[in-house]
Amino acid sequence: MLIRPIADDFKIIALYLGRILLVVAAAGMLPLAWAAIAREWDPFGSFLLMVGIFAFLGVTGIRLGPEEPKLDWSHGMVVVALTWLVVPIIGAIPLLLSGHFVRPLDAFFDSMSGLTTTGLSLLSDLDHLASSLNFWRHLLQFLGGQGIIIAALTIFAGTGGITLYFGEARDERILPSVTSTARFIWGVSVVHLVFGVAALGLVGWLALGFDLDRALFHGLLVFFAAFDTGGFSPMSTSIGYYHSALFEGFTALLMVAGAMSFGLHYALWRGPRRAIFANLETKTILSTFGFTLLVTLLGLAATSVFTTAVGLTRQGLFQVLSAHTGTGFATVSTAELARWGGLAFGGLAIAMALGGMGSSTAGGVKSLRIGLTIKSVVNQIKQMLLPEHALVGTGYYQSGEKHLSPTLTQSVMIVSLLYVALYLLGAGIGLAYGIPLQAALFESVSASANVGLSVGVTDPSMPVLLELTYMLQMWAGRLEFVAVFSLIGFMLAWVKGK
Amino acid sequence: MRKLLRLLFLVTMMVPAAPAIAQEIAVSELLAESPNLSNQEITIEGELVGDFGFRGDGWMWTQLNDDPYVDHPIRDGIAPIGGNIGVGVRIPSELAESLDHPGGYHHRGPVVRLTGIWRHHDPDRQGESYLEVESLELIDEGRLLDEGVVWWTVIVGLGLLAAAGLIWTARPKPDEH
Repeated sequence: MLIRPIADDFKIIALYLGRILLVVAAAGMLPLAWAAIAREWDPFGSFLLMVGIFAFLGVTGIRLGPEEPKLDWSHGMVVVALTWLVVPIIGAIPLLLSGHFVRPLDAFFDSMSGLTTTGLSLLSDLDHLASSLNFWRHLLQFLGGQGIIIAALTIFAGTGGITLYFGEARDERILPSVTSTARFIWGVSVVHLVFGVAALGLVGWLALGFDLDRALFHGLLVFFAAFDTGGFSPMSTSIGYYHSALFEGFTALLMVAGAMSFGLHYALWRGPRRAIFANLETKTILSTFGFTLLVTLLGLAATSVFTTAVGLTRQGLFQVLSAHTGTGFATVSTAELARWGGLAFGGLAIAMALGGMGSSTAGGVKSLRIGLTIKSVVNQIKQMLLPEHALVGTGYYQSGEKHLSPTLTQSVMIVSLLYVALYLLGAGIGLAYGIPLQAALFESVSASANVGLSVGVTDPSMPVLLELTYMLQMWAGRLEFVAVFSLIGFMLAWVKGK
Repeated sequence: MRKLLRLLFLVTMMVPAAPAIAQEIAVSELLAESPNLSNQEITIEGELVGDFGFRGDGWMWTQLNDDPYVDHPIRDGIAPIGGNIGVGVRIPSELAESLDHPGGYHHRGPVVRLTGIWRHHDPDRQGESYLEVESLELIDEGRLLDEGVVWWTVIVGLGLLAAAGLIWTARPKPDEH
């Protein structure tokens, strides 16, 4: 029986949602200041409006909250799901007022795409967009990739943090408390920010001949999109704009860092480093990356898309890395990507679907689930081949010896199947609109796995239903379903509960 | 008749061979037909946007856009109708030095007609595609784009911030006393 939520449930949700919105209001001050410095007065006004709405709703939510809040699992999940809906809606206001979108829904699409670190875009005339708005799009990726909840937890330590933390699709608590884990994650990110922007900025200034301010602008924005595996880019030709192997190299390093779990970052920083390669997740991602790279390169070689091995390797490697980490950067045009058929298409699509590591900024099914799925299938086969009473080992190594229990296997299988269903949902709707199977599947996987590579389906002229489907896929894919189902359950209980 | 034919022959021989005319092509067509145009001389026209990257090796790299926003960026009031259509170009530095500011938010960049060799997956640059420019013709100089403050957003935004401040301070919760 569904139990109808009472007024206190709504107050608790309002309180935590309010706190998070206040944090986003503070983040919104950054593009506001940027607009003032860059003398971009039109965006300045729209950022002021956005910050005002975030602050007003945030403060109101906090004031509505109870004096002694007791956040349970259900509240936490609803807060997370609502956060990831409300923030992109309000965050879309400056984008909408810029006049760069055909429909208001398109601005929401881009905002959702940014926050979920997908990178698909319906923005028109990016190359004339205000730098402060471009900064905001990329900052949304940073907030979404690191986790808005993580930001809130870093500032508002308190009860209920663990529910919010897990609700945002993080399944690894690195340090004893959630607050210290959140602070560690931000610490890692800030260190990468400093070194990443410095490296990309110096390449832009010294090697590419950009003015210093523009070099730092490109460095900062590409850092946000690379480390948070987002895929937005400052210019319409993505990373192909830079025509530089060195720039691509640094970007690739940041994409890899972003797709690594924060647990792995912890091991790299504090050790023991030997254990890193013993982890099932590390082994799995190295194997799947090698496999998809090989398939893509063979496909490109077979169709003679590139005439030299060096060209084939550089372009193929970057695209596969971008797909597997869930970033969505490209060094080739959308028109060319659409021409990559056969094995090359298959390699990229599989890489996107698999995704990066768990508890990272990447999307997709995630390597640990892939590894555990393969392990459980192998165990099943072994069990069938061995005598009836023989025992098959169920242990695996992931930051310590673990046991692959039937419950864990079931949970892993369910989430993996949900991802497959999500991929098929978008592909099916795309097919219904007459989009060829290959393109419909590619774009659907790209949206669901929060990748952002496009073969041209995502366009301002796309059908509204397909656009809404991609938005749903981005949202559900980023939150790994649980928080979304909790919100649906909460709403059902509100309507039908007793 | 024979004299006339001889005259015609002489006239024909005296006319210098006309230079090969580069194929003028839209960037969208160029991207669609990129492999077929590899190493051919082509002409493209559009706005230079982003950055002028003088790399110190005799070349300047930038991006040429050939889309509906070349004449009128969205700031000019044109309705949005889709993404930019651009391609990378590298221009000899001596041709590029006279160019003004590239296109962006504050500027509509210079509109140029570029003729050069289309390098599709250039083996010398590990598979990059770009136009290697041989000649540049300035069609329209860049210009500043106007901008004004949208006051209602400022007023409403400030009003909401003030309201948030009032709510925050006016009703302190009991445990904050």
